[in-house]
Amino acid sequence: MSHLPPPNILLVGGFLAAIASVGASQALVALIEGEGPRVAPLLTGVPSAARVRAFESDLEESSWLARRLRPWAQSLRFSLLREMGDDVVPGRDGWLFYRPSVRYLVEPWPGHRDGLEGSIVSAIAAFRDDLAARGVRMLLVLAPNKASIYPDRLSRRADAVAAVVHDGTLSVIARLRALGIEVVDLFSVFETARRRAEPVDGGRGIAAELYYLGQDSHWSPPGVRLAAAAVARRLLDLGWVERGEAEYALKESRVQRTGDLLRMVRVESIEQSFEPEAFQALQVVDAVTAVPYRDDPGSTVLVIGDSFLRIYSQEDPGAGGLVAHMARELRLPLSSLVSDGGGATLIRQTLSRKPTLLAGRSVVVWEFAERDIRFAMEGWPVVRLR
Amino acid sequence: MSFTSHAFLFYFLPGALVVYHLTPRRPPALRKTALLVLSYFFYAWLDPRLVLLLLATTVVNHRLVVWMARSSAERVRARWLAASLIINLGVLAFFKYAVFILEALDPLLQLSAFPGPRFEIALRAGISFFTFKIISYTIDVHRGEPPARSFLDLAVYIAFFPQLLSGPIQRFGTIDRKAERAASFAAQLESLPGAVPRLSFGAALFILGFAKKVLLADVLGKVADAAFSAAAPGTFDAWFGALAYSLQIYIDFSAYSEMAIGVGHLLGLECPRNFNAPCLATGFTDFWRRWHISLSSWFRDYLYVALGGNRKGAARSYLNLVIVFLLCGLWHGARWTFVAWGIYHGLFLLLERSRGRRTLYAVLPRAAQVAVTFLLVTVGWVFFRSETLTDAFLYIAAMFTPKEPAGGSLLLDSLLYTRTHLLVMASGLLLVFQPVQAADWAQKVTRARAVLLVFLFCISILTLFTQSFRSFLYFQF
Repeated sequence: MSHLPPPNILLVGGFLAAIASVGASQALVALIEGEGPRVAPLLTGVPSAARVRAFESDLEESSWLARRLRPWAQSLRFSLLREMGDDVVPGRDGWLFYRPSVRYLVEPWPGHRDGLEGSIVSAIAAFRDDLAARGVRMLLVLAPNKASIYPDRLSRRADAVAAVVHDGTLSVIARLRALGIEVVDLFSVFETARRRAEPVDGGRGIAAELYYLGQDSHWSPPGVRLAAAAVARRLLDLGWVERGEAEYALKESRVQRTGDLLRMVRVESIEQSFEPEAFQALQVVDAVTAVPYRDDPGSTVLVIGDSFLRIYSQEDPGAGGLVAHMARELRLPLSSLVSDGGGATLIRQTLSRKPTLLAGRSVVVWEFAERDIRFAMEGWPVVRLR
Repeated sequence: MSFTSHAFLFYFLPGALVVYHLTPRRPPALRKTALLVLSYFFYAWLDPRLVLLLLATTVVNHRLVVWMARSSAERVRARWLAASLIINLGVLAFFKYAVFILEALDPLLQLSAFPGPRFEIALRAGISFFTFKIISYTIDVHRGEPPARSFLDLAVYIAFFPQLLSGPIQRFGTIDRKAERAASFAAQLESLPGAVPRLSFGAALFILGFAKKVLLADVLGKVADAAFSAAAPGTFDAWFGALAYSLQIYIDFSAYSEMAIGVGHLLGLECPRNFNAPCLATGFTDFWRRWHISLSSWFRDYLYVALGGNRKGAARSYLNLVIVFLLCGLWHGARWTFVAWGIYHGLFLLLERSRGRRTLYAVLPRAAQVAVTFLLVTVGWVFFRSETLTDAFLYIAAMFTPKEPAGGSLLLDSLLYTRTHLLVMASGLLLVFQPVQAADWAQKVTRARAVLLVFLFCISILTLFTQSFRSFLYFQF
């Protein structure tokens, strides 16, 4: 190493080069692209902590060098340590889980401590009451966390457990029911179905029908059908909806899907190291014309919810999601409204802003993800319907 | 501004080094002014209003100390000292504890017509540290040390940005002779050298601290967060989490201190060491000689001694010890868990003091003494980490009651025992139980070490790019 400079110079030079690299590369890129200095927003207006934080965040996100190096570093960490970032928890057999959903199950219910349970129950009850004032009934559907239904795909310690339902979920459901709010219990539906489908080898059967996708946080096509049947049956049992006369048939469709959990990693090389999941989905089609199912905007039943409604409906294969399968069960075209990640509150705010969406409805089926009980994007404010 | 933030590492630090080293060395006031402006900018980044508080505190204390130094009458000097202490502790209490007191009183205030003022948490950052620096300065002057030569010197001392948010709590005109070999801050301010060996030592120490923070402490923090957040962890999970936190708090805080000392050296100013292998302590007395040295020596020299120390009999010295550690706990924040942590340490120290500074397990081989001390300190950290005393006792119960995880906590293993976490736990344990300290290792930079350090820095920066930002634990204090 005789060609190297003296150690002190080498170290200080290397250190200074490293800390100057980001700023220098950024300045060079700005120069090439003819951009102005990024510091301008910080200098205009009254300085405040919020303004500084926003600037700092922008500085970090827009760093040319960091953006170039990040995927490479993430890919290396994945290769060496199977790390998949902040949002994804790798499970067993190639299954992936959404970290907030796992945290929801692992962590205690903070509802009693910070009044969260009260605010959820109040928000849902107020929504139900406002709907009732319009003559609309409400049926609540909680989409179970994937880890609730498949805990054994996440942890070896859960091999002997059929399902894990959080105390907080049970507590909220109990309080809602005590207020006369109808809730579909999909947890026991899935648990029973799993037990039936995998009677022999204790729950990890290869041939068994899987109700959730391995690389996705959502349910699989069989899971959708199961949920749709349970919700439809409940609507019929309650007498809120009468079976219609529409004739629907099922059409098999092959789907290849890169799961949302894999896409959350946002590194192409990691995505490519997984085979996309290939499976059969069932499209709902008109029995006569074979035209794929379409919502009826004038339907008396409005289904609202989050991405659990969107999957297979607004994505491949289309007409294969929860709403289409509910329509088939009820033999009745339905209407739907989807807000990705906003099933708890954003969707209610949309209805509040656009009351015409409720015109002519007699039933609202409201779906949201179980983890939203704690991690709802906008919290659980009471949203009054105008 | 955190040392591991993008803004500090890639913009502020290179900018500060350029500005500082390009500023002419003569007259010295130029470099001091540059340092002061940089420090105020650094603090303003957190919240611009903080600079006003810092400036006002400096002006007031400078005046009080000038008046104190002018007088030779002890009664008058004591009066100025009392005024300074009341003001400084008042500011500390107001910003650090007013929020908690008002929160506790909130239900009553809601009932009354007066809803009470609202303060922001951010207002507290760094206040504990710079207040203790100021107090040490005013007490030292009262004890006969010369005051700062100028307002600028005092302002630079109080605001010196590497130490501003989490110490070390360096003294102005004096040094803690048990821990420091360098000249006092005041003496160093007069020379402000910047030769390459000092720069390379600073860079080496900064890199080691940065790597410890990014590669180890932040990951350990995730382990501890997962375990302490679990509803019903099993016994093994609880111990795993407690050990992770024990490693995290030491590695995180010592990393910050090393980075602060490193930046100090890059600017030509030496700061005292804050840690000396605390995980190798053989008892609590030994632990406090090694842990957060600048704070423990502060409490010893400015509180324990002031209360009478050992001079008023055994019973009084025991009481003084408990008072000191109760206040040490409270210094970290107005929470019963900090008080419990302080009392926990105070009681072990009292026990050792009553046995002639020997632990109950002093008969064991040294390695066993180290292990027992580490485990006892780890149990103490559970109080420190928990939000409430109830949480702390539940967690300790989980550690000491053999049981399997229950409910959703069955799935905790998926968050705890990942490859990364196991690798980092093992690396952390190896690091804290080896005797060579970063500051010693960085003293002699060979070519191999220089290459290794630059490589480590690049790996750490790459890791930083891939993970979300985590602040230093001690920023909250």
